[in-house]
Amino acid sequence: MKYAYFPGCSVHSTAQEYGESCKAISKVLGIELIEIPDWNCCGAIDAVYSYSPLFSLALSARNLSLAEKMKMDVVTLCSACYHTLSRTNKLFDEDPKLKEKIERVLNSVQLDYHGKVKVRHYLDVLLNDVGFDKITQHVRVPLKGLNVAPYYGCLLVRPPNISNFDDPEHPRLMDELIETLGASSVNYIDKTRCCGASLAITDEAVMMEMVKKILLNAKDAGAECLITPCPLCQFNLDVKQHDIESSYKLEINLPILYFTQLVGISFGIEPNDLGLNKNCVSPTKLLQRFEITR
Amino acid sequence: MEVISAHTIAPHLVNPLFTKEVMEMRGGEKILDCIQCGVCSGSCPARFAMDYTPMQIIRMVQLGLKETALASSTIWICASCYACTTRCPRDINITVLMSSLKNLALREGISTKIETKPKFHRSFAEVVRKYGRIHEPELITKLMKKTDPEALFHNAALGLRLWRKGKIRLLPSKIKQRNHLLAIFEKASKEEI
Repeated sequence: MKYAYFPGCSVHSTAQEYGESCKAISKVLGIELIEIPDWNCCGAIDAVYSYSPLFSLALSARNLSLAEKMKMDVVTLCSACYHTLSRTNKLFDEDPKLKEKIERVLNSVQLDYHGKVKVRHYLDVLLNDVGFDKITQHVRVPLKGLNVAPYYGCLLVRPPNISNFDDPEHPRLMDELIETLGASSVNYIDKTRCCGASLAITDEAVMMEMVKKILLNAKDAGAECLITPCPLCQFNLDVKQHDIESSYKLEINLPILYFTQLVGISFGIEPNDLGLNKNCVSPTKLLQRFEITR
Repeated sequence: MEVISAHTIAPHLVNPLFTKEVMEMRGGEKILDCIQCGVCSGSCPARFAMDYTPMQIIRMVQLGLKETALASSTIWICASCYACTTRCPRDINITVLMSSLKNLALREGISTKIETKPKFHRSFAEVVRKYGRIHEPELITKLMKKTDPEALFHNAALGLRLWRKGKIRLLPSKIKQRNHLLAIFEKASKEEI
């Protein structure tokens, strides 16, 4: 299984543990990820799009053009990159006038795109190309008794005309992944509720109010940790958790892992190879339960 | 003789061209199909922080209330989560409509109570245009210089936390063909009009 890999900006900075854990489990599962040479920002769903829609779409299309030469499906870790690249693909396919504009912009830098690339999220690949059976075979440390809250967020499952590998309102795939690893998935109300994304930078108080609800509801439902498929969600739930605790005078202390890290733990991979030293809310206690030390 | 003397809407605020303008932007195509059911507002996780609900913004566009819609905090608070779009029974892409309204507000220089957000979009695009990728420290510094220098201290603490975890790069990650970026940006700006 070979894919054109689009890491996205966050995996190179705030979400390094996502990239590291993805690499580690891909090795075990025989997934080969070949980085798209000289990839650029996905086009940033709204940040660049609102500034200049065509600049955003053209940035997206430059990536798709580079990937098309590799003749493989594109795989990305970030839900927002997944959405932005897929959205450009869809508009390219459905809007002939826009397609011509994008083509003219690409031609100005001697690139072209023919709409042949399929954009996938890594979770989709893990569950639909690799499959649960193969994942089960590699579980060395069944996570028995561990209550995990799956947090899908927005762009992995919405909108359904762009993301179509799970249900937009009641997604199940991460729940099933959790059960496959021997753990129990926690049912709570905020599975697909937005984390506030870039409001973390511009309107922190608004983001904190949004994330507080998610964290507390997951905890009330019995979650001992939470898994996410998106670097923006992880940042707001994990890195900012400390600020939320001090702002609301609460103790939450809920470890926020990437789903790839949870898979890696159950595969018996060394915690440092999964970047578990980089999560801000320490998962040490959780690891000790399964006699994993670092 | 004027039948209605007390207007519900101040006539000088109505700009009929605005409705047409938005209908030609992405997300605005089906704006006249809105039946004001309120599912968008009920689904919005950031509604509590907005001055108008998403449903009200759509009504403003239908009525041509340009200044009011573009100066609202609503369009900037929208975090593009697509909850409204997923549920809209009239198939209106409200999320992209909000992006298009932001774009219009930026182009026309209409100010809003949420001052940081327009600057965030501008700074983000500038950093990406320069390196091809985002570089968070530069984005934050740029943004805070434009808005609130005191906030830099607050963000310095966050930066330190990330630094200790090895999650921040002092130097930006740059693409090799950076000459592509300005060319793409200039061509895109010309084609957009």
